[in-house]
Amino acid sequence: MYKIELKNISKVFENKRVLKGINLIVNEGEMLSLLGPSGCGKTTTLKIIAGLFSPDCGDILFNGKSIVNIPVEKRGAVIVFQDYLLFPHMTVEENIAFGLKMAKIKKPKRRVKVREMIDLVKLDGCEKKYPSELSGGQKQRVAIARALAIEPKVLLLDEPFSNLDTRLRESMRIFVCDIQKKLGITTILVTHDKEEALLTSHRVAVILDGEIKQIGTPAEVYEKPSSPLVADFFGEKNYLEGEIIKGFFVCKMGKFKTGFDKYPRVMAMIRPEEIELTDSEEGSGFWGRILSKQYAGDKIYYKLSANDIQLKCMANSKNMFEANQRVWLKIDFEKTIFFKAEKS
Amino acid sequence: MLKKFKPYVMLAPVMFIILGIFTMGLALGFFQSLGYFPAVGLKEFTLRYYKEVLTDIGFLDSLKFTLYTSFVSSTLALIIGVLLAYSIFQSKSRKGVLYTIYKLPVIVPHSIAALLVFNVLTQSGILARVLFYLGIISEQTQFPSLIFDQNGIGIIISYLWKGIPFIAMTVYTVLSNINDKLTDAALNLGANRRQVFWKILLPLLMPSILSSYIIIFAFSFGAFEIPYLLGPTSPKLLPVKAYIEYINPDLSHRPYSMVINMVLASYSLILVWFYSKTFKLFSKFDEIS
Repeated sequence: MYKIELKNISKVFENKRVLKGINLIVNEGEMLSLLGPSGCGKTTTLKIIAGLFSPDCGDILFNGKSIVNIPVEKRGAVIVFQDYLLFPHMTVEENIAFGLKMAKIKKPKRRVKVREMIDLVKLDGCEKKYPSELSGGQKQRVAIARALAIEPKVLLLDEPFSNLDTRLRESMRIFVCDIQKKLGITTILVTHDKEEALLTSHRVAVILDGEIKQIGTPAEVYEKPSSPLVADFFGEKNYLEGEIIKGFFVCKMGKFKTGFDKYPRVMAMIRPEEIELTDSEEGSGFWGRILSKQYAGDKIYYKLSANDIQLKCMANSKNMFEANQRVWLKIDFEKTIFFKAEKS
Repeated sequence: MLKKFKPYVMLAPVMFIILGIFTMGLALGFFQSLGYFPAVGLKEFTLRYYKEVLTDIGFLDSLKFTLYTSFVSSTLALIIGVLLAYSIFQSKSRKGVLYTIYKLPVIVPHSIAALLVFNVLTQSGILARVLFYLGIISEQTQFPSLIFDQNGIGIIISYLWKGIPFIAMTVYTVLSNINDKLTDAALNLGANRRQVFWKILLPLLMPSILSSYIIIFAFSFGAFEIPYLLGPTSPKLLPVKAYIEYINPDLSHRPYSMVINMVLASYSLILVWFYSKTFKLFSKFDEIS
């Protein structure tokens, strides 16, 4: 098992700084997700680790040893690509055996390993098939088997589930997690799907605009985002500006008790699902009016207005409110996340 | 009902040319090769002409010489063409210039190519003069005889001049359509650049390499003008031999010419069969990108 360390990795493509000093540690046997939107530099980071790109500056260490000058074919960091990239002229078993053949592993040993991999990814009966004869899920399994066959130091997954339909994606996700746990291989998963990152990883690194903004357990990055940028990546939020005075949050809506007193001027982040709507005054909150309603089966999305501020709310469909209806917005400010307000 | 026949009706003009002219010509040639040529009084079908031609040492020498020039020129064109395509593909700069330059010989007619080769490679040609000017040779006869020679060097060079760019153009087009991420995937799995070429790119290029090889082989096997202009007096290449028999004033020689043409046509048919087999062979991995 290998520990990966990225030290101040930077990369410029056509005068654009794609990576701005990435620092990251992935522990032995850990599964870490690099989560971010398209074009944020996460795949570039993966390709730099694999050796397909070289960094403009910085260092990469595997178990404390720099590998930045080791060529891609000798690095032992294998990528499972988003579009599988199976060799179309090779059968399933030939694809899986490819890396072993390149490593000059003898045929009998190769056969045993290929068999082992086929059993692992449950592709019995597909050995002689060509990639064009396989389904998306089967192709993905072959790609994983091909990567695992050479017993890589590090497994790099580049949005491996994005080409699969929802149901298949879920089963492949469970499948990959099981394999990762079974083999204990240090793995980096690149994804733009927050749910995928939260569900599969031991830790999540949120990467935005070429910088890692936050690293933590799935619960930490979701529950305690380090900035509004990270918070917004996990979904739409409401922000209320105000002041903290003697343990109370004072804003346009009123004065609310909170245990927070780190900064005097703050921005309260309220998730749409944290606003409770009632038709009568109860608990700490304020009155507002429903502007619009969008029905989505098990939940309803409301847009509200309170003291000329627009808020988004997500409620279950038990109690439905109609547009223009006056409602009480109940918020537990003691559990709210406060960010230091930007100077206006 | 009308819809069913519509494609056939629309294909009728071209089918008239293919079936009416080409097939009829082939059938007439076949009958004449069997000795049926009523215009000159030959009215009986016989295999005599086949027997005579196929056992004639002159014909067998011509056949061997034709196969030799076709095989050598096509194989060399294939090797050089593939390497040229790959080097253009790998070159990061001047790709556009190279791509234009190597395509030029493709549009030049074979007769012009023969003339160019003649002007450059004869013992009194440009190359011999340059070598003389540089003091490398002191007289004309020191320059090797490359034209009208029994090794067919002039013919082979002419075919190479046309064949290399054709192969390179075909292979380069396919090469640039192969997903370059496959190279990344292979490198990532431990292959070096050479292994990527031999194990990934070359097999993926195989359908286009084989089909373009078959095309240039078939062409050089049946082409007339270059061997006629640059070939030796003996042995003659088969198309030249067939032509000489055809223009013989004694029309009773016509069946000999037609037997040679039938041999050429049979080889072409074999190559067509091989061509279609090639595609079937590679149909299972048709997705190259």
